[in-house]
Amino acid sequence: MAREQRICVTVNGKVYERTVPVRLSLADFLREHLHLTGTHLGCEHGVCGACTISLNGRSARSCLTLAVQADGANVITIEGLRADDGTRHPLQQIFLENFALQCGYCTPGMLITAIELLADNPNPTEREVREALSGNICRCSGYQAIIDAVLIAARQAGVAHANAQVR
Amino acid sequence: MSDARFVNLKAVGSSVIPDEAVPLVEGDGRFLNDIKLPGMYQVAFLRSQHAHARLNSIDAGKARQLPGVIKVLTGKELFGKVDPFRSMPNRFSGGESIQHWLAVDKVRFCGEAICAVVAEDRATAEDACNLIEVEYDPLPAVTDPRLGEQDDAPLIHDACKNNYLIKREYQRGDVDAAFRNAHVVVKRKFRIGRKQALCLESRGCVAGYRESTFTLTVWISHQLPYVVRHYLAEHLRMPETDVRVIVPHTGGGFGQKASIYPEEFVCAWLALQLRRPVKWVEDRLENMVASTHARDQYIELQIAADKNGRILAISSDIWVDVGAYSIYLWSAGMEPLQTAGLMPGPYKIEAMRYRTRGVATNKTPVGPYRAVGRPSASASLELLIDELGRRLNLDPVEIRQRNLIPLEAMPYRNANNLVHDNVNYLPCLKLAVAKAGYERLRKEQHEGSPNGKFRGIGIACYAELTGLGTSTAVGPGTLLQPGRDAVTLRLETTGVLTIAAALPSQGQRIMTAMRQVASDELGIRLEDITSISNDTATAPYGFGTFASRTAVFGSGATIKAARELRQRILVIGAFLLQVPIEELTITNSVVHTVDRSKSIALKDLTEKSYFSAKSIPQEINPGFEVTAFYDPKFGSFAGGAHIAVVDVDPKTGQVEVVRYVAAEDVGTLINPAVVEGQIIGGIAQGIGEALLEELVYDDAGQPRTMTLADYLVPSALEIPRIELHHANVPSAALGGFKGCGEGSIIGALGSVACAVADALSRHGGDIHDFPATPERVLKGLGVLASTQ
Amino acid sequence: MKPAWFDYYAPRALSEALHILGDAGQDGRVLAGGQSLMPMLNLRILSPAVVVDINRIEPLNELRADKDCLTVGALVRHADLLRSADVCRDWPLLAEATRQVAHMAIRNRGTVCGSVSHNDPAAEHPSVLVTMGGTVVVAGRQGRRELAAEEFFTGTLSNALEPGEMVVQLRYPRPSARTRSAFVEFARRLGDFAMAGAAATLTMRDGTCEHARLTILGMGQGPFRAHAAEQRLTGRRLGPKECKDGFAEAVAKVTADVDPADDVHASSSYRRHLAGVLALRALETALGRTGGKVG
Repeated sequence: MAREQRICVTVNGKVYERTVPVRLSLADFLREHLHLTGTHLGCEHGVCGACTISLNGRSARSCLTLAVQADGANVITIEGLRADDGTRHPLQQIFLENFALQCGYCTPGMLITAIELLADNPNPTEREVREALSGNICRCSGYQAIIDAVLIAARQAGVAHANAQVR
Repeated sequence: MSDARFVNLKAVGSSVIPDEAVPLVEGDGRFLNDIKLPGMYQVAFLRSQHAHARLNSIDAGKARQLPGVIKVLTGKELFGKVDPFRSMPNRFSGGESIQHWLAVDKVRFCGEAICAVVAEDRATAEDACNLIEVEYDPLPAVTDPRLGEQDDAPLIHDACKNNYLIKREYQRGDVDAAFRNAHVVVKRKFRIGRKQALCLESRGCVAGYRESTFTLTVWISHQLPYVVRHYLAEHLRMPETDVRVIVPHTGGGFGQKASIYPEEFVCAWLALQLRRPVKWVEDRLENMVASTHARDQYIELQIAADKNGRILAISSDIWVDVGAYSIYLWSAGMEPLQTAGLMPGPYKIEAMRYRTRGVATNKTPVGPYRAVGRPSASASLELLIDELGRRLNLDPVEIRQRNLIPLEAMPYRNANNLVHDNVNYLPCLKLAVAKAGYERLRKEQHEGSPNGKFRGIGIACYAELTGLGTSTAVGPGTLLQPGRDAVTLRLETTGVLTIAAALPSQGQRIMTAMRQVASDELGIRLEDITSISNDTATAPYGFGTFASRTAVFGSGATIKAARELRQRILVIGAFLLQVPIEELTITNSVVHTVDRSKSIALKDLTEKSYFSAKSIPQEINPGFEVTAFYDPKFGSFAGGAHIAVVDVDPKTGQVEVVRYVAAEDVGTLINPAVVEGQIIGGIAQGIGEALLEELVYDDAGQPRTMTLADYLVPSALEIPRIELHHANVPSAALGGFKGCGEGSIIGALGSVACAVADALSRHGGDIHDFPATPERVLKGLGVLASTQ
Repeated sequence: MKPAWFDYYAPRALSEALHILGDAGQDGRVLAGGQSLMPMLNLRILSPAVVVDINRIEPLNELRADKDCLTVGALVRHADLLRSADVCRDWPLLAEATRQVAHMAIRNRGTVCGSVSHNDPAAEHPSVLVTMGGTVVVAGRQGRRELAAEEFFTGTLSNALEPGEMVVQLRYPRPSARTRSAFVEFARRLGDFAMAGAAATLTMRDGTCEHARLTILGMGQGPFRAHAAEQRLTGRRLGPKECKDGFAEAVAKVTADVDPADDVHASSSYRRHLAGVLALRALETALGRTGGKVG
């Protein structure tokens, strides 16, 4: 039957084999089937960025990806940012210390996008940070604390290393 | 000899990192859609395709047969079994609007819920919705309030003559004389477009039958858990004590999640009927039509002034497009009455008159959204004050200085009967002007821009009444007087302090603030204080989070309860340490004599009090649970002055905010970083209002802005770095606190609107229709014909 | 916002994909990047019976720069173009336009061929393909055919594909070293659908314009090739002072000839105005650049 398919996806380093409806989005697969609810749905048409995850090393909107398309793929979500011993990713720590989240709904997408930015461009200008994050909507913060957190992270040693681990 | 552990670092005033944020940053938040219960069904709503129509028939036969569909509920089935929402009483009500949870014989806005489909999963529920056949008999739609109030307009509610949901006239002072004797009168019409809060997480609920000892448990993304409980019980005709409401992590609220909507009530009813948990998550497409809209005013404003630019009187004529129903809980009076009534802002205005109407139209109902009518009122007044300044050749700063209520005049009762006290309007303006380098900004503006852009500078001063107590209704005319928010402090057996209050946060860290306040009052370490805020089963009664009140109410009640609790602790401490109580204090969770010769850790004191109660006289061991209410009676005015600098591209009409300076008086700060986040967040929303956000309808009442590609909110590129400064003066409320959640959006809409108008006025242009889209800017410059 | 049911296929060979698409006819859709298709499916604007995911067809992932042209296969993502040194250096108009496509997460998945097939009036790629005189290679069960860019775009969100056909490749001729180009667009926010845009190339020899190509996007019916404007510039001297008149005439032709639609984002008169503003910006920027490189 072409309406269900067995898929094998690596998520945050762990391999999962599941049978899924073909119309199920990757976002819903992560949230409903794997109970990784850290990835959020804000619009389901690719604009708000809250659902952004890392797919095979690059950021992607999980609301615009079918779960079946992730068969054989490597996915990282916000839950995968912790180190194996449970310590937060340095960017998460910096977000916390710099009040770079309020309601927290945009945060998963912001973190994934920021990590990709810093991996591609370890020393961005403020303008470059704003551009990179312009596809992630935040309604609470006015962005300033988030931008500052990313700039702080860029200056800190150890962040690049942690980013590389995530990829 | 100093002992570091006795040194108290003040928590109030420190940017304490909130424990509340930890699960959120780690991806372990529990938002509404994260909740899964065994056997849970999912709900989708079939929504009206027409703005105004009779519902002739609904055929759900095919839908019911779809595998995975459990039930299709219609308004007819609910009719008589539950109470519809009748518009909340308001002294200025027009007629009564009755909103059935699912439309029965008529639909009154595109998106109104008609059927609820219950299925095993959401996708199947949506499949079923597509199989339902509805026969509509379309009626002419009302889409403009100025036409809707005409005698020949189609009637949306039989009981609302001229489609008035709200109507009020008000006058104070001799307005006619003021206008007669004025040296100058300026007059303008303004239009502020329709908006919505656009929370990143839309609404939702999970309703459960007997999920715990309560018959009905409802998890709901909402700001007012006890209010939801009250109305659920009332409308479902069940005892209030059978209902439990839990607010999970909430992704934005901004007032949109403070109204009462039919969908969650339908889910509650379904859960009781089906005896299974029922979940509904509002998707974004629904959210654009199902959750309250805001603003949408037509404002005709006049100022009468003397030759020195002193305002003698204002007069306004206001129409608000309040949508199809009077929103439940607040009434349709929110925008119309606040826009008109709060027009004077921070200015000394002795005489004012207004005529305001909330006219029903065939659009989504309008409800409260951050600052409600104040941004539109303030923007109109600020724009017209600038116009007045141009007429009298007075700089915008100068004319405002002449009109702001000075500290010396306070307490000052304004023409709208509000008393201003303990608020720094003039110092904020002075501070903003100084920090912005205002004179140099004007000089640069005068010299012109090398990049060909038109520079504009706008100033807005605002007043924001926060922390309203029982003397002031939450909105003019409403019969709702919030003011009974309890805080319970309880010292646990291990010496940990729990603060409980029904004041959920959507990011503003209310419980962190209250922990900070409690820490200072009691001398207990922050890490020894925890909190409960979101569950009617565990938090004491409270109205909830809205109207910039939690800093005042929550902190005030915390202080009152803390003082009582501290006394109880010291009495027992005196007994246990055998010293007079006057010699005792508490520092860093240790009860000790001032000379530090004797001490007992709080956890040891509590353990003894709980478990060795025999050793302590009964009369001094009444327990460690204290509940207090705080009613400040009057509100506490916050205020500010914002200066926005914009560059307008005369070719495309694009407006860029290139600099933004804000000087605020938000009273005594509890957590400065949290306050800063609130202020900047409000400014971002105000910039969105001024330049980007607009919900558009066509003449048939069809919404044209359906997705986030149409309704544009600011991204990180549209908000400049905000330069924030403070000129705080404590309020008269306990602790000296003020609310800060809403003021900044007022300043932002005003300052950016004025900046755009300033840029255009220097090139023979004008603008009074907002948001200032590129097209409106070019029309204002005369580059495009205005008759389009 | 969950999609309606569809049958899903993820073939590993193009022939199989074409077979399934051929059977599905009007009811079939190609899923490549999904950045245009998935929103429509989620919003239930579209409910195809059959979705053919081409992401497993390895040969379609071809990005190749030759002496004469750039070949872009159906699985090449916007981000792949930007990461190609060849593209950035030698096809600057394409690179400049691609940088303005949405945001990184969209560019990582969305494909160039997908954007071309979808032909959204606000999209960048259709106009660039037209301006560069590119070719669209189409495959169906019955075989392949090639269309010139302008033949391919047939109207608002429409293309010349027959039911069962798909775009497998685009070819962009290599611009000459004497060609200067510019892509400009105007959107409310960076990354938004453009309200209007212009792609311009000027092939210059000793201060005279040998060829001018100008395409306007955002006018509603797909890329608008401004022939009359191009004619005003071809063969004309475009020195620092002379270009003013030439450009003014070209722009006047643009604003006279475009036929923009009214929609919730802009009225037709505003779009017409923007077309002129952006055409001028594109021409001026192109002229100001040294040959072949983005200034």
